[in-house]
Formats: sequence, structure tokens, C-alpha cells
Amino acid sequence: MSGLRKRLRPLLVPVLAVLSAFIVGSLFLMLSDLKHLAMIPTDPIGALTGAMGDVINAYRALLLGAFGDPAKFALAFQQGTPKAWTTALRPITETLVAATPLMFTGLAIAVSFRTSVFNIGGDGQFVLGALGASIVALAFRGMPAPITLVAALAGGIVFGALWGFVPGFLKARTGAHEVITTIMLNYVALQIVQLALRTDFLRQSTNSQPISKVLDFVRVPLLIPLPGLRLHWGFIAALVVAALISWFLFKTTKGFELRSAGQNLTAARYAGMSAGGSIILAMVVSGALAGLGGAFQVMGSVTQMSNDVNSGYGWTAIALALLGGTRPGGVVAAALLFGALNNGGHGMQVATSIPLDLLVFIQALVIMFVAAPDLVRKIYRLRPPKPEVVPAATEGASA
Amino acid sequence: MTAATAPVTTGVPRISAAQQRAERMARIRGIIFAVIGLAGFSFASGSMGSDVTFRFWIQEQGGAAWEIHTAAGLLWILAGVTTGVGGIYQLWKGASVSWRRWMALALPFWIAAIIGTLLAGKPAVMTNLFGGSLEYAFPIAMGAFAAMICERSGMLNIAIEGKFLLGACVASIAASVTGLVFVGPIAAILVGVGVGWLMAWMAIRHRVDQIIAGTVVNFGALGLTNFVYLRILQLNTDINTPPTVEAIKVPILSQIPVLGPVFFSGTPYLYIALITMVVLTYMLFKTRWGLRLRASGEYPNAAGTVGVDVIKIRYRAMMLAGAIAGFAGSYLSLHSAGSFQMNMSAGKGFIAMAAMIFGGWNPIGAFGAALVFGFSDATQTLLSSLGVDVPPQILTSVPYLVTIVVVAGLVGRVRGPAMAGIPYEQG
Amino acid sequence: MRLELREITKQFPGVLANDRISISADRGKVLGLLGENGAGKTTLMNILSGLYRPDSGEILIDGQARTFTDPADAIKAGIGMVHQHFMLVPVFDVVASVALGAEPVKGILGSFDRASARKRVVELSTQYGLDVDPDARIEDLPVGVRQRVEILKALYRKSDILVLDEPSAVLTPGETEELFDIIRGLAAGGTTVIFITHKLNEVLEVADTITVLRRGRVAGTVLPAETTREELANLMVGRDVELTVSRAPAKPREVVLDLADLTVRDDRGGIAVRGINLQVHAGEIVAVAGVQGNGQTELVEAITGLRHVDSGTLTVGGEVVQNATPRHVADMGVAHIPEDRSRDGLIANMTVAENYILDTYHRSPYSSGVRLNRKAIAEEASKGVREFDIRTPSVETHVGALSGGNQQKVIVAREFSRPVKLVVAAQPTRGLDVGSIEYIHRRIIEQRDAGAAILIVSTELDEVLALGDRVAVMYAGQIVGILPSEQATKEAVGMLMGGVH
Repeated sequence: MSGLRKRLRPLLVPVLAVLSAFIVGSLFLMLSDLKHLAMIPTDPIGALTGAMGDVINAYRALLLGAFGDPAKFALAFQQGTPKAWTTALRPITETLVAATPLMFTGLAIAVSFRTSVFNIGGDGQFVLGALGASIVALAFRGMPAPITLVAALAGGIVFGALWGFVPGFLKARTGAHEVITTIMLNYVALQIVQLALRTDFLRQSTNSQPISKVLDFVRVPLLIPLPGLRLHWGFIAALVVAALISWFLFKTTKGFELRSAGQNLTAARYAGMSAGGSIILAMVVSGALAGLGGAFQVMGSVTQMSNDVNSGYGWTAIALALLGGTRPGGVVAAALLFGALNNGGHGMQVATSIPLDLLVFIQALVIMFVAAPDLVRKIYRLRPPKPEVVPAATEGASA
Repeated sequence: MTAATAPVTTGVPRISAAQQRAERMARIRGIIFAVIGLAGFSFASGSMGSDVTFRFWIQEQGGAAWEIHTAAGLLWILAGVTTGVGGIYQLWKGASVSWRRWMALALPFWIAAIIGTLLAGKPAVMTNLFGGSLEYAFPIAMGAFAAMICERSGMLNIAIEGKFLLGACVASIAASVTGLVFVGPIAAILVGVGVGWLMAWMAIRHRVDQIIAGTVVNFGALGLTNFVYLRILQLNTDINTPPTVEAIKVPILSQIPVLGPVFFSGTPYLYIALITMVVLTYMLFKTRWGLRLRASGEYPNAAGTVGVDVIKIRYRAMMLAGAIAGFAGSYLSLHSAGSFQMNMSAGKGFIAMAAMIFGGWNPIGAFGAALVFGFSDATQTLLSSLGVDVPPQILTSVPYLVTIVVVAGLVGRVRGPAMAGIPYEQG
Repeated sequence: MRLELREITKQFPGVLANDRISISADRGKVLGLLGENGAGKTTLMNILSGLYRPDSGEILIDGQARTFTDPADAIKAGIGMVHQHFMLVPVFDVVASVALGAEPVKGILGSFDRASARKRVVELSTQYGLDVDPDARIEDLPVGVRQRVEILKALYRKSDILVLDEPSAVLTPGETEELFDIIRGLAAGGTTVIFITHKLNEVLEVADTITVLRRGRVAGTVLPAETTREELANLMVGRDVELTVSRAPAKPREVVLDLADLTVRDDRGGIAVRGINLQVHAGEIVAVAGVQGNGQTELVEAITGLRHVDSGTLTVGGEVVQNATPRHVADMGVAHIPEDRSRDGLIANMTVAENYILDTYHRSPYSSGVRLNRKAIAEEASKGVREFDIRTPSVETHVGALSGGNQQKVIVAREFSRPVKLVVAAQPTRGLDVGSIEYIHRRIIEQRDAGAAILIVSTELDEVLALGDRVAVMYAGQIVGILPSEQATKEAVGMLMGGVH
């Protein structure tokens, strides 16, 4: 029992953080509920219950949208038709589709955080990865599909890694703050994509919008052979990559260097490790992961390259890395949660016409609560954790 | 009686590694300048003949105009000469030469030469170009002021973008509901102050990393304003149609030929930005408040040990910055667009950070940087309106690339507050 | 004003920094507060300046009890502080630095009245003979002048009690003399001065009374006229713990570490190690004594490849190694026990096993190029834990959760786990209990007897005397004396440490 409790304890703050974020979110939902707000003067109790009812409905629609409707599953079992199965499975598979890019960017940011490098350039690395994959795919067009696919994925990795290398190199060599450089590079990446989409090589000439040719000839194979389901092997790849990153960080020599540098740069230097090398490596790996996520996105979930291929995955990734405690397994779990939120949000928007953007706000609140564990502990009156390190107070440690 | 064997510490010449590096960088810069200068010179021969016209409206748009006629080649020569001479001078004199001054001298010629060549004979309406730069510069400059106040106090504030959005949204609603235009900016200021306090509270009280706190605000503001727009404003357009801030012609000053139409016939926001620039410069460098603020950002322990309350200063700085950024946000909805639109700040908050860095963490520099960025934006508009096919992306990237180059110290490092982003621990 | 501290006690986790300390200083007098590192001087000063609050005891000014909740209170009470690490904003000019926190203002915007501040600064500097250019930027000033700025800061606030923390640590002898003149002038003008130092000559020269602190307590209060350097040295270094590690006489063989005219700069570009010549032979222990901040840290960093060597040569086993990488130096068989174990030596949030391989992880059997061999790591770490008697629940425990003694044993075990030609140990037993100290000392002597050359840097005189076959004393970046162990008495070394030679 106490063993279980000890194992669950680290989960307490993240779970409460998510819970708190939803509570605050529902407050805003009620505050923006003009219909019920207007009722307050005449029927305050009705207004309150009505507003709360709407909140419950919204969150219910969110759950159904994210995981599927049990009734539809029952129907699918009964009828057994592909169509019924598609209907039942669509929400949960879409959740996994939504989680896939998040898993990649979340892992990317987790690797950088592990090394104490603040990569907030996930956005730029992701879109450039998608661009790289598109360019390679079009260049390899006509080759056997598997070769094109592998080459395009490699293209995504290379472009992303390059976009991670630049800030890593600048930080290691000149001390340029990676937060500033990655923010700026995010915007440069967007401009590069726009520029690339002007070329005849990429651009779909029939479309007035800057959007690429359809990349259906390199689609990532689908996981479930039912029409209407988009879940593709990119999801499995994300899980494999998470396992690989876990292996890399915790089982390899280089991973050991990264973790050491991240925890205590001075001690790492004293132990003969190269601080600059670790920073560059972390940024390259981080960029490569985000780039690979972009490649899978453009060849799996969507089939055309455009700026819309990214929807803030690089920023969400910060939340994921924090929420998952910068552990690959934790990041995967957090990405699944956020995938469910984003996808369930669509369901909520359709069912209750509450804008999906509420969930972006809730995600921001999750970051806030996770980043301020003492705030969560105070709200829920939890005991503070035992300090892990007893600081050796010595003379001179002051001032 | 005294210990007297130790030689004199201060007698040893101190050629620090940083100084050596600066000298080396200066030489490299000199060579680069010289080479670029030569390149500019070589362009001249190809475009010697083509005419360039720069047009300034003396009073009214489309009315009487004052024009400068020249040859593109001449501009290229001037650009090449100023850059090349600057390069050689730097090679000769080393790090003591201000590269910025040489760049400031050469840059206008380069821009004029490039624009002139691209326009290929069509007139460049400089009044619109400068006016457009100023329009664009306002939120950038104000955002830069906000970020600067925070960094000067030792807080890293990457949430200008989020405050722009919240300010824009709240201003539009407040002005629409009340029907009074001035209520909008006031509401935006109040919200900005609140968000600034929230960030400070997270970062100082709860020890949230300042970058994370900024991310929370950016992300939360985007989600919240989009949510409010879609849930409320889209359906109730009456609370998103604010009275807009009209241009004011400053009496007398707006009559000044050439300058009047550019500087004194615009939005009141512009005048406020200029006033803010002057006041902030004074406040930062000439007042007790500024002295203490800068001490908090440079060496908080020095301030703390003489009884200055560093924590309080940082809280106040964050709130003041929130007010300025929120106010600048109101410009987006009350002036530019006439209503709140989703994600209407479109990255201007980050360009503001770029302007702060490029401007060397001081208000006048930041305003200048904002103007440079604005100019590149206005040039892009001008070129595309005249049908010159230059990808706008190249000019749009300028602020970002310039910032990377500056923070990396590739062209003369500018030094920011030493302790920005590092939490203050007393004792 | 008369300052009195009564029974001041301050406890930190694991350390009783101030144990019922009572001192007093009369108006216009100079109180010398003498003590080694760790004697409790800095803690006491932080209490006096309002940065810390004492657990018990009281501060009396002119007989009245005062409590300080923050530095502003202490300043208001007339206490001016000159910190050892100057509290000056590098990019400010002198006037702004002095006035900060007490700025004269005018106008509604609260404009800093620089002119009147400047006038006062000029007045004060002429009045007290503190020669300073009021318009110079702090970062352009030499340290001696910066210190004058610090003193001006206190005078500007009309402080009647001036506390100087190790003021001569950064000064040249000439500057020190000037400082003493300034102090005498201030005292003559009625200022009470508290002068904190570890230098015997200085207190004897400038103090009216001397209070000696040792290990958080008052070891004695004497008058300069009635005491001798020997007595002061005795009081200062004392002997609370009898260190009884038996060791056979050294059998020195060939030279392993050879320093010739070694010069090294500190982080600020000042010379920290000033042309040192030193040889350490295989089979002997050379212990470097000295008060913290006399260049020992930089010396150790230079030897281990962590700091750039300005000039001179540094060889280990005949191979020139100045400015080699830390890894190269380690690979040559140099074991390094760093000065600050939690900052430099260990990664608190990683396991005992991971810390055990921190500088050998890239070698067989721990690494096969790409992969880490978990099994080998656990086995070797367990072996180390057993061999060095490290008390830990398992090798998977985070090293931060261990006691200081066991943490240090992890480092020693790690460093001695590979073939060792030279051991460089900085403060190897700082803050440890007697049992751990003896254990680590025994291990170091074992290495010596196995043929390694040992260089120990310690500010603990007891340790130096217990271990050193030869004792070298560092003072102001130089080695001011090397004594064979039979001549290295507490008094002799203590005098050298205090700058008497």
C-alpha cells in the first residue's frame, strides 16, 4: 500500500494541476455565458444551475469527442459493419492523431530541458521538418514509395536538426541566449516556408492559397484499414521514438553526458565533459525530433505542406515537457492527454458551439500550475515534499 | 611590520580575453565592411544610367510634391564608399571605432540604392514610406519599452505578445460597450497591469521560471482572446465595433512642408510613443527610480544591501510594463483594424523584443530599431503595390535575423542587463 | 556610537555558525575581529547588516537593543558595511554607486540630484582623504579604489559604525597601508570600526582591541599591547579536534608534479597565482596551507585543466599539461577531489552509481562506445560502496540524499577507482565529521604509500599538519614558505598564513 502510494505521489501535482486548470476554465466558461449572465437579475439560481449545466455538457462533449461514445461502440459490436466501427473508433483514433505531433515536439523539448537548454524553437523546427520532408518527397517523386517515404522522413530530420543546431551552436560558441534566438528562428522558419511555397517546385498552381502539391504518393501507411480513419504509423513511430529517446537519455554514454550537463554544468565540466558539445547535441537531437514530427504530420495527418501544418505544437510542447517531468514516458502520457483535449475540443465545439480555443487557455493554466507546484500544494493543503538535498550551509555561502 | 612581498596587483596590465576578442571581431568586421563596400561599388556600373525619383508630399497626399532625382549608380557608389571607408577605418583603428555609426551612415544609401534599382524608374513616395514606418513602429516601440523596463529590473519578459492580444481584445470591448474611445486604452492598461502582476507573482513568489511564466501568458492570452472572440464577439458584433482613434493634425506643426505630413498628421498613439520615449529615457537614466531599477537588473545584491527593496521594484516594473504593453495592444484594435481580430498581434510582441535588443536596451535606440523594422515593412508594401516582384518574406525576416546576429555578438555585442532572468535571493 | 553584541547565536542546518558570540566596540575605537575561514565572521556580519536574523541574542547600540529586519534598518541605525565582495554596480559611475539607496532627489519625477550627490562625494573624499574620481565607472576602477567607494558609501549614509569584512584581501600592501590610514582617520573622527580579518599583523597594527573567533565561538579578547603574534595564532587556529592518523615517514621518489613559474589569473583577470614553483614527488604528501582566497582555488583549477595558465610550465610525470583539457589531465592519472563537493564534484539529483562513474563513464567497462553498461556500473559502484564504506541504501539512491561524509566518500571512491599517479585534493574534509575525516585521511595516506604524489590544499591547519610531509603556505598568490613536517608547527604555519614571514 505504502509502496503504491509512494509510486503515485509524483503524479499528485500533475493531476491536481490539470484538475485546477479545468476548474478555472469552467469559471471562464460561465463568465462568458451571456445567456445565463443575463438571467442573473431575474433568476439567479436558474442562471447558476443553467450555466453549470452547460459546463457539464461541454466537458461531457469533450470526453465523448476525445474517447468516443459507448453507445456507438455497442452499436458497432452489434452491427459489425465497417461504417459502424468507423463511427465508433473515429474519436479515439483522432485523439491519437492529434497526440502524434505533440509526442514528437514534447520529446524534443524534454531532451533540451534535460540538458538545461531552453529550446522554445519547436515551432520553427517542426515546420521546417515538414518543409524538408515535402521538398525531398517531391524530389524523389517517381521512386518506389517506401524509398521516397524514408528519404522524406530523413529530410524532415535533417531540416529540423539544422534549425536546432543554429541556436545550439550560437549558445555554445558565443553565449547567445537560446530563448531569444529560437524565438527569432521560429519566425524566420515561417518566412522560409512562405518563400518556398512561392516556388513552382512546391506550389500547387491551381490553388490561390500558398499550399503545396498534394503529397499523397508518400502517405505514411494507415494503421487501421477502415475508410475515414486517419490514424497512421506515425503514432507508432512516436511511441518507438519515445522509447529510443528514453534509451538514449538513460542508457547511452551521450545521454549520460546530456543529463549530467543539464543537472550540474559545473560538475560535468569538472568531470571532463564538454559543456558546449552537450548543448549543441541536445539542440540537434531536439530539432531533429521536432522535424521528424513535422515530416510525419505533413505525410500522415495532412497531405499538403502549408503554414497551417503547425498549430503551436512547439509551444504546447513546453507544457508537455513540464507535465511529463521531462521523462519520455511522462511526455507521451501528457501528449495523449493534450491530444484528447484538442480533439475532444473539436467534439465540444461541434456539440455545444463552445470554441475549442478554451482548451488552449486551459493548457496554459496547466503549465502555470505544473510550474508552480508549491501553489498547487497550498491550494490543496498538501505536505511539502521532503527536500532531496540538504544544503550544506557554510560561511561564505551567503551575500 | 607589514607583509610586503606581494607585488602590486593593479600593476599588472589587464588585457582580458574579452578585449582581445573585441579587437579581433573589429578587424573581421572591418574586412567584411570593406568587401561589402567593394560589392556596392561594383553594382554601380550596371545601373549608372537608370533614374531614381524620391517623392515627398509637401502638404496633402497627391498635392504638390518635392522630388529628388538621381541616378541609381550614384547611390550605389555612395553606399559602397561609405561602407568601404568605414571598413578600412575599422581595420586601422580596431575596436574603438563605433561600427554602429558607420552602419547608420551607410545604411540609408544602401536602402535608397536597392529601392531605386528595384523600382526601375517609378517614383518612390517617401512620405508614405516614412508614414508607414511610423505606423508600424508604434506597437513595436512600445512593446520594446515594456520589455526593456522589465529587463532593466532583472526580469525577462517574453510575454509582450500576450499582453498585446489581451490589450487589443479588452480595449475593443470596453470602447464598444461604453461608446467612449478613451475607455478602451484605459481598460487595456488595467488588464496589462493585472497580467504584469500575475507574471511577477508567479516568477517571484512561486519561483516559476520567468520564461515559463511568459509562455503561460502568451499561450493563455491567445487561447482566451480567441475563445472570447468566437464565443462572444463574433455573435455580438456590437461589442466589437469600437469608435476608432482618429488621426490628429497637430496645429501649426502639421503645416511644416514635407515633415508635417509624416510626423504631425498621424495618430495620437504616435505622439504618445514619442512622449513615452522621451519620458522613459529621462526616467531610466536621470531619476532615482531609474537608478534603482537599473541596479536591480545589474547587481541586485548591491541594491539589496543598501536597503533597496529589489522585489518591490521588480513587481512594479512588471506592472508598468504590463500597462505599456496593454496600451500598445489597444492600438491594434482601436486604430489599425477598427475591431478585435483573432491573433491580430501576429508576432509583433516578439519583434518588440528584437527591437529592444537591437536598440541596445535603451528607449531611443529601441524606437530607432522599431523604425528600421517599420521601414522594411513599409518598403515591402511599397514594392508590392508597385508590382515589383520581390518576395516579401525576405524583408519580413530582417528584424529576426538582425536580432540573432546582435545577440550572438557577430557584429559588436550589445550588453543587456547582467542579471535579467535570474531570480533575486537576499542574503 | 558604542556597539555591543550579546550572546548572538545562529544555527544553519548542520552548522552552528555563531554560538553565543559577544563582542563590543567603543566609540572611536577599532575592534579587530580575527578568525579563520568558518570561524563565523561572515555570519556575524550578515546578522549585523540585517541580512540574517539571529536565533537568539541581541544587538545593542549605545546600550539600546535593536532588531534589524532588513538592511535598511541596519543602515538607519548607523551601521555601514564594506563587504568583501564589493556591492557595487559595475556599469554605474562612482556618484551613482555611492548614492544608490540614499539618493537626493528633486522635482516631481524624483530626479536624481546628481550634482548635490557629487558635491557630497567630493566633500567626503577630501575630508577623509579618499582619493576617488567621482565620475569614473566602477568597472574601470582598480579594486583598491573600489574599496574606497565602498567606504564612501558608508560615510555618505553618515554611518557611525563601519564594518569592514576582510578589507585587505584584495589589496596590495601599499593600498593596505593607505586603508589603515583611512581607518585611523575615521576612528579619530569618532567612527566605531569593526575590522574583520584573518591577518595577524593587521589587527595588531590597526586594532584597539582584538576579539578572536574560532569555530563559531569567541576564543578570547585581548589588547594588542598585551599579546603576541604567537598567542593570537594559537587562539585563532586552536585545536579542537585531535587528528590522530598514524603515518610512516614518506619515501619520496621521482618528481610527478612540477610547477615552474606558474602564473594564473582569476575570473576577473587579476593575477591569482603569481609565478609559483613547486614540486611534488611520488610517495609524498605536499599540503598547501593558507587562508581561502590566496590563489589556492585557481592553482588547483590550473593543475586539473579547468583554468587557463597564463605563463610558466606545468608537468605531470614529465609531460607538459598546462592548458590540456580536464579529461586529458584525468586520463594521465590525476585524481581530483574538488573544493566544493556539491557544486563541483557531484550531481545531487543523480544516483550514487552515476556519480561513481562521472569521469570514467566513457571508458570500458562502463561504456561500449554508445551504450552504457548498467550491470558493470552497478557492480563497480557496489564494489566502491563496499570498499569505501559508503553508507547508502543502494547505489540507485540519489547522492544528494546522503550525508556529507558519505558524499565525499563517493568522490574519493570514484577518483581512486582508476590508476592514480597524482592526487589533487582541495578541502578534502571540509564540513565532515571526525570519523569521515579520519577515514579520508587514511585513504589518502594509502595512496601515498602506494606510490602516488599527493597535493592537498586545505584551509584547515589541523589537516595540513596531520597530512603534510611537507607544508607549503600560500599567501597572496605566492608560496611564502615550505616547511618539512617536523618544522611545521601550528605557530610557524599560522604565522605564515597570517602573512608574517
